[in-house]
Amino acid sequence: MKILIVDDDRINSTILNRLLSREGHQVLSAEDGQAGVELFANERPELVLMDIRMPRMNGYEAAREIKRISSDRFVPVIFLTAVTDEEGLVQCIESGGDDFLTKPFNRTLLQAKIEAMERIRRLHTELHAQKEQLEQHQERVQQELDISQHLFANIVRAGNLLDAPCLRHMSAPMSQFNGDLLVASYNPAGGLHVMLGDFTGHGLSAAVGAMPLSEIFYGMTAQGYSIGDLAEEMNAKLLAVMPTRMFCAACLLEVDFRQQSLTVWNGGLPDLLLVDGQGQLQQRIASNHLPLGIRAFTPDDRKVSIFELRKETRVFLYSDGLTEATRDDEEMFGSERLERHFDGAIPPDKLFDTILATLEHFRGDAQQTDDISVLEINCARAGEPVSDQLSHARKKVPPTNWSLSFFFGPQLLQTVDPLPAIVNSVMNLQAPTGHRERIYTTLAELFSNALDHGLLGLDTGTKRTPEGFLRYYSQREERLAALDHGFIRLDLTHIPQFDEKQNRIGGEMHIRVEDGGPGFDHRRVHSSLEGNTGHGGRGIALVRSLCTKLAYNEAGNCADVVYRWTI
Amino acid sequence: MSGTISIARADHETTISIKGRFNFEMHSQFRAAYQEETMDKSRSRRFVIDLTGTEYIDSSALGMLLLLREEAGTNEADIEIANARPEIRKILETANFQRLFKIT
Repeated sequence: MKILIVDDDRINSTILNRLLSREGHQVLSAEDGQAGVELFANERPELVLMDIRMPRMNGYEAAREIKRISSDRFVPVIFLTAVTDEEGLVQCIESGGDDFLTKPFNRTLLQAKIEAMERIRRLHTELHAQKEQLEQHQERVQQELDISQHLFANIVRAGNLLDAPCLRHMSAPMSQFNGDLLVASYNPAGGLHVMLGDFTGHGLSAAVGAMPLSEIFYGMTAQGYSIGDLAEEMNAKLLAVMPTRMFCAACLLEVDFRQQSLTVWNGGLPDLLLVDGQGQLQQRIASNHLPLGIRAFTPDDRKVSIFELRKETRVFLYSDGLTEATRDDEEMFGSERLERHFDGAIPPDKLFDTILATLEHFRGDAQQTDDISVLEINCARAGEPVSDQLSHARKKVPPTNWSLSFFFGPQLLQTVDPLPAIVNSVMNLQAPTGHRERIYTTLAELFSNALDHGLLGLDTGTKRTPEGFLRYYSQREERLAALDHGFIRLDLTHIPQFDEKQNRIGGEMHIRVEDGGPGFDHRRVHSSLEGNTGHGGRGIALVRSLCTKLAYNEAGNCADVVYRWTI
Repeated sequence: MSGTISIARADHETTISIKGRFNFEMHSQFRAAYQEETMDKSRSRRFVIDLTGTEYIDSSALGMLLLLREEAGTNEADIEIANARPEIRKILETANFQRLFKIT
């Protein structure tokens, strides 16, 4: 060990020096405090023996100075003192001394003290190294967390339409990562898909599960799949990747503002609340499914519920972090406190802010114990445009000749909705910018007419009353399940259009949709539809407005449409 | 601030009672309470989760129940969740756990 002796008494210093050298230590000597500090700074010894009364700088001052310049490591300072009065010893400790030794020296005691100090010094060095390691580790973890959070935020946010005018939302994660997933996006038919997912636990592990779900949500919504399809796909994904004790309580919604309908799949989230134009609770929609990621879907698990929406309706969706928010006396916010807002005393457009204010006031300074999400859908603002959806750069094919043909039998119609596949095929061949939604709507209307009226023989008139609206959908479900014959055939031919100089300026899609049903009275259907402002069923009128030509054959089971587009 | 677990074993039935807060902090305790029984696959066993004294349940606790169900044989598992107070029953029903467990 490298030991520094600071003593102005040469005899003392020499005795000590010899003693310690014989023990195998490397010894340095200084004859006063000032010289001691300088030598210390240059040589970085590991232990200091310090006299007290010395010229230029005394031992107390020198010890302070030495402790100050070696604050990053532990250097024991042992005072050599003739004094034994308490006052003097206290001063030794106060100036940073770690021990003291009274003159004249006892050799054994000196050795013992040096050894003891050496043990402490080693412990200190180890501790210091561990602390540094921990700090480095922590810094690395934090860096990784920051990067992950950035990725996470971008993946979840990409294409998220939560800033649509008809939506208001609040999402308060309790840690750096949010275990609640809140996403919204428009499907090709203009319907709004919204999902709130609440993973078991919170923080990073919960957030990791949110990434595949958001990808499925955006991807399948953009392709036109229904929320039942989305739920099934998400469930399968979570089953494959998550441990048993993790799952995701989720609610998926499709708001179709044109049909004024709300489609709900709720697995494990609190009741969805529908509030009327007076700000009163009109209906609650309880969870009727298991959360996602618990067990494989059966056909029943895909089932969605359909509700009628009016322009003045507001929909409230929240995670249990809201009702389970706890204040310092352990009282919970509770669903009762939440639903008190819907007694008609608060104007509907103030509800969202009032709820948040109540929550903040209730919680006070209490620590947040779960992620909290609240969302409001205001149907009145549904029609307002949203900032541009992300447009994916696609290779542009000049308008050219091609055709597609599809044939669907009963079994296929019962199990999947073929529409997304049809629209994707069309859009992958020829993708006229800005026409996707229109083409989707045209095909969707023709297709659902063929299926609902042609094959299933449903009557649109049923939808005119709220009760009929629901009956329509339950009848549809029953008849579709019982369907054992018939077909839908779809032929689509694309023909390029030229200007007088033979430049390709766009194209025409000639679409024919034929069904194997007995046909329906299309005249009655569209005469009733064209003046219709009631519940749903403005389908054919809509197709008429989008297309240059719409004609049904005499039997009413074959429709011809021409959709024209220009570059 | 978590709850406490007590276990009563009869011939073919194990009753696990949870007092206080049933949350993520109970994970290892809860697992230890049933693991001995679920390890022995040759014997079928009934589990009763007695929530008489349970004040609060969180989603991690639901996850633990799912884990018990899996380790006890998933669809063959015979697990009863008993005596939940109304607030807790509501949480179990919101998650539709009555489809996976007998809730009494």
